[in-house]
Formats: sequence, C-alpha cells, structure tokens
Amino acid sequence: MNTSLRKSVVVGIAGLSLAGSAAGCAPGQASGPQNTSAAPSAATGGSYQDGTYSADGNYVSPNGNETVGVELTLAGGAVTDVKITQHPSNPNTRKFQGEFAGGIQSQIVGKQLDEIKVSKVAGSSLTSGGFNQAVEKIKSEAQA
Amino acid sequence: MPHPGWTGFSFDGIGTRWEISTPSPLSGAHRRQLLDTVADYDAAWSRFRPDSLIAGAARQPGRYELPAGAAALGPLYETLYRLSGGAMTPLIGGSLEHLGYDAGYSLRQDGPPQPAPPWDDVLDWQGTVLTTRAPVVIDVGAAGKGQLADLLSAVLREGGVREHFIDASGDLLNAGPAPVDVGLEHPYDPARAIGIVSLGTGALCASAANRRAWGDGLHHVLDGTTGAPVRTVVASWAMAASAMTADALATALFFVDGFRLQQEFDCSWLTVYSDGHAEYSADFEGVLFS
Repeated sequence: MNTSLRKSVVVGIAGLSLAGSAAGCAPGQASGPQNTSAAPSAATGGSYQDGTYSADGNYVSPNGNETVGVELTLAGGAVTDVKITQHPSNPNTRKFQGEFAGGIQSQIVGKQLDEIKVSKVAGSSLTSGGFNQAVEKIKSEAQA
Repeated sequence: MPHPGWTGFSFDGIGTRWEISTPSPLSGAHRRQLLDTVADYDAAWSRFRPDSLIAGAARQPGRYELPAGAAALGPLYETLYRLSGGAMTPLIGGSLEHLGYDAGYSLRQDGPPQPAPPWDDVLDWQGTVLTTRAPVVIDVGAAGKGQLADLLSAVLREGGVREHFIDASGDLLNAGPAPVDVGLEHPYDPARAIGIVSLGTGALCASAANRRAWGDGLHHVLDGTTGAPVRTVVASWAMAASAMTADALATALFFVDGFRLQQEFDCSWLTVYSDGHAEYSADFEGVLFS
C-alpha cells in the first residue's frame, strides 16, 4: 500500500485522471474565493474579456484550513487554460492537490463559462458554492 | 439556489453542512423544528458522542431502543449486507476506529485492518430495537445523512412547505416538481464536474473515496469483510425516491454491481472506477462530459 499503486488512466471519461489509491486529504466545505487578482490583457468582441484570472478558495480538510488557487485563461469567451496553484502546508494535502492538478485541464478546457454553470453539485464534499462562486467571480471580473 | 428567487436556510448538523432552499423564507418555527430534528437524530445515532443512544452499544451488549427511523434503516442495511456479501455493514464502526477514524479523530492506524463482526454473531435488529451480543460500534453513516434529509423533508411537508430542495453537502433531495440541473463533482477536484444530470422529484446522493481520507490509501469506505478501504471504485452516484435509499445505494455501489442493485431497488446509478472508466444505468446515459 504505497504511492506506487497510483494510476493515471483515462478510459471512458475524457480528461478524468484518477489515482488508484485515495491519498491525502480532500477539500471539504469550499468557502468560495477569498481574494482574487485579475490581469486581463485585452478585450475581444465576446462578453468576457480575454485574459488570465485567478481566485483562491479555502476549505477545511482533516489537516485544517487549506487554500487552493485556480487560474483560468479566457479567450473568446471560453476557457482555454486552467492551472491549479498548490499552496497547502500539509504534505498529504499537497499530494492530493497534485493528483487533481494533473487531470484538470483536458476536462474543462473549451467549455463556455455559462455552459458549465449548474445550480447544484452532487458530490461528497460541497454545495455548489465553491464551484459556482469561483466561476461567477471570474465572470464578473472578466466583464468589468 | 436550485431555482431563481428561492431563499436558503443553512446550518451544521451531523458533521456536515446543510442548505434547505424554499420559494419563500422559512418561519422561525419551521427553522426550530428542523434544527430539533437534526439534534434528535444526532443524539440517537452519532458514534462520535459518548451520550448518544448508539454509543451505549459500543460499551456493553444489550437492548437498545432507537427512534422510529431505525425501522427503515434496519431492512435497508440487511438487504445491502446480503447483496454485498457482508462488505457493507452497519457494524463497520469498529473497523473505522481501528484505522483511525474514531471519535477523537486520532487518524492513526492501529495495526492491520480489522474486519467487522458478522451481523448474525452480534446483532439482532428488529424494527426500532437493536439487541447486541457484544460491544459493537454501529455506524449508519452510509444511509444516515440521507435519512435525515428525508426526515427534514417530512417536517417541511407537514408544516405546509411542499416545495423545497435539501442539499446535505452534495447529497440532494428535490421535493418539488421542477427538475434541477446538478453537476457531478469530480472525485478529485470539487471545483470541477464530470457531468451534469437533471434531478426531478427525488434524491441524488454521492459517495467518493476522496472524502474523509486521512492517510496513505486510507478513506472511509471500508469493506466489512476485510476492514480495509475499497480500492476499485472511486466515486458513485445513485438516484432514488428517498434520500435514505439513494445515500445507501451510493455506498453500496462501492461493493455491488449497479445492475444487481437495480434488481432490488428502483434506482439509477453511476459508478466511476479507479481505472478511470465509468458504468451507469440508462438515466445517466449521456450525462458525463466527453
């Protein structure tokens, strides 16, 4: 039972990269973005300005409060790049965040922000708050 | 909010965050009733507090009378215990404690995994009465959150609030005619969905190995026959008329093929395996992003 069990295989679900053994600690209640910084580069004809936007989210894990950063790049109203900024203090959380950071990009890239809005999220960890708050925050900044 | 213009009432209960959405704000009396229902449930079933009814069973064998909800939990657990060959069991509490998921949250594994005791050896569950023949740590976590959602929904209906939506941190109960689009949380990233499903009247519950994970390979979905965490399934979703059933089936999918569960329960389901592939019933067809 060690990290060598880890697999990153994509079968059946595009862009879903999963680890063979659950390790580390998962985000719990996402409290939404705490602070954000926006660096839009140039406007286009779309409803959202092109640019790179970032937002931090806090959550409570069994290791305590942890923060994860999300950086979205918009072009023509669509997400063209997603990066996860890891800054957890706990090694378990860092490992966990690393596992999903590797798999995030292919899943979300190319989806319109409005298209991926849902009113509720079914999962084991959160209400839709974390997901939609981050997206809404970035949308409002991009429209400013 | 599940629908534009609705309002929410949020609170913490049985170790998780709840949000109840209604078309108009709930009265103070409604809120008190809801919170009382949560408190009663916790006082009966929490294995994390020494004064709960169920905590007594961990100290000594005997006859334990539980609230009315026990009469529904028992048969549900018995069916799933049978279908899973003993892997899914309410007697899993001791195995969880053994791996560190205990009342003190020691999160420290105490030796190799320890199987749960066989049901027939230690437990007789008749209606609301549990008779135990040994000290046992009973954990109804696989169905308890869902059952509490059902109980809260009943409180609202009896109080005249027919339309409402209950979100128990990702386990959902839609008590209204209008369907709600629901994102399916990525097993390893709560900021992302792997698909969107429309939830009509009924419940949608999830289980995932990424939550309540506390060490290398340790998480809270244990196989009762070995006491070790399940490795082949990483996330599951189940839809059913009641949240109790949907909640229990989401965990059962870690042990039992969804097609088999469908023979015994009126349900829809989606299981994501650790190799990245997914299996699902017809209602989840086309739900996953591709």
